[in-house]
Amino acid sequence: MNDPNEQAVLSEVPRQTFELEECGFREVPKKWRKFYRHWEGPGDELGPNEIICPVCKVVIRSKREIRVGDRLYCMPCMSRMIVVLGEDGTLQTDVTY
Amino acid sequence: MSEVDRPEFDSSEFDPHGMNPEDFLDEVHSFEFWFQAVEGYLTDNPYGHESGDEPISDRPDDLTESDKDSLITTLCNYCVGETAALEGASGMIAIAPNRHSKIFLATQVVDEARHLEVFLRRLQDLGVTDPEGEIERRANPTLQVFKRRLLELVKAGDWSAALLAQNVILESMEHAAFLVHATTADPVTAQILNGVMKDERRHLGFGENDLGRLLSEHPGNRRRLADIRHEMDGLVLAVFSRAADDLPGDASMREAMGREYIETMDRLGLV
Repeated sequence: MNDPNEQAVLSEVPRQTFELEECGFREVPKKWRKFYRHWEGPGDELGPNEIICPVCKVVIRSKREIRVGDRLYCMPCMSRMIVVLGEDGTLQTDVTY
Repeated sequence: MSEVDRPEFDSSEFDPHGMNPEDFLDEVHSFEFWFQAVEGYLTDNPYGHESGDEPISDRPDDLTESDKDSLITTLCNYCVGETAALEGASGMIAIAPNRHSKIFLATQVVDEARHLEVFLRRLQDLGVTDPEGEIERRANPTLQVFKRRLLELVKAGDWSAALLAQNVILESMEHAAFLVHATTADPVTAQILNGVMKDERRHLGFGENDLGRLLSEHPGNRRRLADIRHEMDGLVLAVFSRAADDLPGDASMREAMGREYIETMDRLGLV
């Protein structure tokens, strides 16, 4: 999703939804574990429902496709963030204190 | 109740991203959250690593005498850092401005005590019979200066400066050292370090987010805290410069960790 226009068009398309399962992340209470996973490094491709926490580098997962303006929470490091469109056209996050 | 005994539940109704901000902050700062989180990775790992059938000192390792000596020095410095964090976090409970911070810091005190204990235990596993004396002999003097400065800030009741020094600067320094070290450490030490880093994620996040909220409300504090950051940075660089002799690790990874620290300071506007 590198084209900002593509992002705008996508906002009118129904979001994909996802059934999440635990991926071995055990650093939060069990009921929250499927919403997070460890990032395996540069070769680890993120899904459309995943984004990396800028504070602790854990992968945050959502039940639905992530889009600009979404609010996400990183429980492992207590961070709150808003999804934004980066200068390179990729989805990024701004931490909101 | 152990994690294994905990009853299964239907988690389909839970979605952290749908919580309102106050509920989220209540949840992640709670003792219950901490307890269920650490239960997930500390259960069955006494002293921070999987227990084997034979005593750990009888297990084969590839450590030469020189490697072992360097590891002992490194672990002694980790003990100084963890003691600073233990004393710092416990002192900060009294000056914390709200219930969330007090409860979170109480959990951090327990984390830091565990870290100190597992590093002391590892020293004993490596044949050190008097860990306290060994720490006294081998501790990096600059790290001791950092510890004294941190505790001065706590004693002065300077919450924002103590939070910066303890939960942002010290935790970043420890996290960077542990991450680099874990890539080259023997398996037992690496497992201990990886467990400690899981706790550090909470400590660092608490520091950045709480300080971020404070600076949003009181932006006038930013200049003073930036000055303290620069003062402490000098000590951090001196500690790392000396630690590099004892701590093998990939240079690119060190640079990456340095970048993360700078990114944190940028997000906080402490430049």
